[in-house]
Amino acid sequence: MTAYCLHMEQLPPLMAWWRKEYDVYVPVAAEGGHYDFAPWREGTEIAFDYDLAYNTLKRYFLPPSEDLLTFDLASYEAQAVFEDPKQILFGVHPYDVRAVNQLDQLMEAGAPDRNYMARREATVVMAMEPQRVADTAFWSTIGADVVSHGYDLHFTRISPANFMVEVGSVKGEELLLARGPLPAATAGDREAARKAHQKVMDLSRSNRLNFDWRHTPKLMEKGWNAGVWREKAELCLACGSCNVVCPTCYCFNVSEEADETLKTGRRFREWDGCMLVNFATVAGGHNFRTKALERYRHRYMRKGKYISDKIGELGCVGCGRCVRACTARIANPREVFNALWEDQANAD
Amino acid sequence: MAAKPKIAFFDFAGCEGDQLQVANLEEKLLDILEHVEVVSFREVHTGHSDNYDIAFVEGSITRPQDEARLKEIRANAKVLVALGACATIGGVNCIKNFLGRDVYSENVYGTRARWYPTYEARPLKAVVKVDVEIHGCPIDRGEFARIVKEMLLGRVPWLPDYPVCVECKKAGNVCRYHLGRMCLGIITRAGCNACCVTEGAQCWGCRGLAPSANLDAAREVMDQHGFDRKHVQDLMRFFLGDTSAPL
Ligand code: SF4
Ligand code: SF4
Ligand code: SF4
Ligand code: SF4
Ligand code: SF4
Repeated sequence: MTAYCLHMEQLPPLMAWWRKEYDVYVPVAAEGGHYDFAPWREGTEIAFDYDLAYNTLKRYFLPPSEDLLTFDLASYEAQAVFEDPKQILFGVHPYDVRAVNQLDQLMEAGAPDRNYMARREATVVMAMEPQRVADTAFWSTIGADVVSHGYDLHFTRISPANFMVEVGSVKGEELLLARGPLPAATAGDREAARKAHQKVMDLSRSNRLNFDWRHTPKLMEKGWNAGVWREKAELCLACGSCNVVCPTCYCFNVSEEADETLKTGRRFREWDGCMLVNFATVAGGHNFRTKALERYRHRYMRKGKYISDKIGELGCVGCGRCVRACTARIANPREVFNALWEDQANAD
Repeated sequence: MAAKPKIAFFDFAGCEGDQLQVANLEEKLLDILEHVEVVSFREVHTGHSDNYDIAFVEGSITRPQDEARLKEIRANAKVLVALGACATIGGVNCIKNFLGRDVYSENVYGTRARWYPTYEARPLKAVVKVDVEIHGCPIDRGEFARIVKEMLLGRVPWLPDYPVCVECKKAGNVCRYHLGRMCLGIITRAGCNACCVTEGAQCWGCRGLAPSANLDAAREVMDQHGFDRKHVQDLMRFFLGDTSAPL
């Protein structure tokens, strides 16, 4: 794979150049020692060593609220709405790129979600090797520490002032070389990048899965009646925080609203979540997951089995956002999977 | 509903902040007013008539004579809408419910207390049937406009039935609990876009409990995060004094 070497000082002029055509988002420090993505401006301090972006990056492809149609109440004519702002996400960790790749697959399957795809196609993803690991994360234990595609460039900080940048697409290479040629990465640079990856893997040893993650779907299948569901669900506030912050949750609800003249209107979608009490309420008022236990179990079934049945990988990338977001401290796929593993080991 | 439904505004114990929110809709209000006939609205209009289809009622019921007036409004109106926290959940007025009747009467009316009968504050629904509730202290202008439009189009007005946390997360806020602060968003009905948290405060619960609020879990959460009961109780009494489930 083509790779170049970039000096830290070369980055701000590049960002300024990109910004002429793109909205550029970078990781920055947020309240309370957390980090989040924010628009880059001249002088923005990029948090290269951020551990986890507090909010999910899915909002750049699937915004919390998005118009789908405008319509005329008298003539019933409708007009589709598509938005595709040109944007660059800089510094996306591999597990989050994997989450985007997963959304790409799910949104394209069946009837492709054209609103999502329009935004996705207008977005350049610049990945970055993490330098630190969030205390709630477990991506390293489920094989989400590396990503093979879905990015246009991949940055690894190989020394305090240098990056090795791997090229993932023609577009990425163009953007990287927009201000002039760069030296090709040497064998030594590649070795330094490998070491940087090893270093962060060593940092992420604490939150382990007690078994090979590939067993998870089977485990879920057998764990339908496990005790962990009741034990955790009792404390569930049905607040949906775990859904909303999750980079692989993509559910939405579609509504319509007329304008004040009652002549025209818009159809829009907003994030929804399976942990909300009426998520599974259908026409006629029947709710097929009335109990907290059923909703709680459903979410982990999605992450551990249903998504895997569809696309062959876990529906969780181990980012640890839900673990952090849950004020009741019950949302934790790693803990749930381990509990099921233990249950079944004891049963055998 | 008739081609141009007649609407009227009324107020009981409250600050008229919600009617002010309606008046502040300005241009949007003018467009909406094209579809209705206002027969009574003190904030923007003089005159009054007892012939109306939709009554928007603000404020809590705090005196025996309020009840008769509210019942009359109920009898005249086809649709009764409770406007704002005082009307929907009792709101801040209910702080007085934690004092003795003599104490709050005297605090307000001094030596003339016995001339003014007043009792524990309560929401409209404690006295009459309420058809539609527009929550908040004050109400959200956008939500008011949406609900009125839905009524005019013959749709059943929709209210979020999940906690504020959903909107708070959508807004991208760092959770108050992660900053060592308490927040009632975990049990409060959404619909305000978590404006208070976004502005740097926390949720006070002005939109009332979410129908699905898990109070046992909320109690556990507040304990786990190290907040003492007095602190919780204080916050709960600010707007939620009328709820039957203090934490
Ligand atoms: S389930 Fe939790 S840990 Fe897994 S991807 Fe979603 S937010 Fe991250
Ligand atoms: S964040 Fe926690 S409390 Fe809220 S819905 Fe998810 S599991 Fe339940
Ligand atoms: S609900 Fe709030 S704004 Fe409305 S009258 Fe009561 S105190 Fe005032
Ligand atoms: S700050 Fe309050 S409303 Fe926001 S997520 Fe936390 S508990 Fe919920
Ligand atoms: S955040 Fe809470 S207190 Fe503030 S408006 Fe919303 S419901 Fe009311």
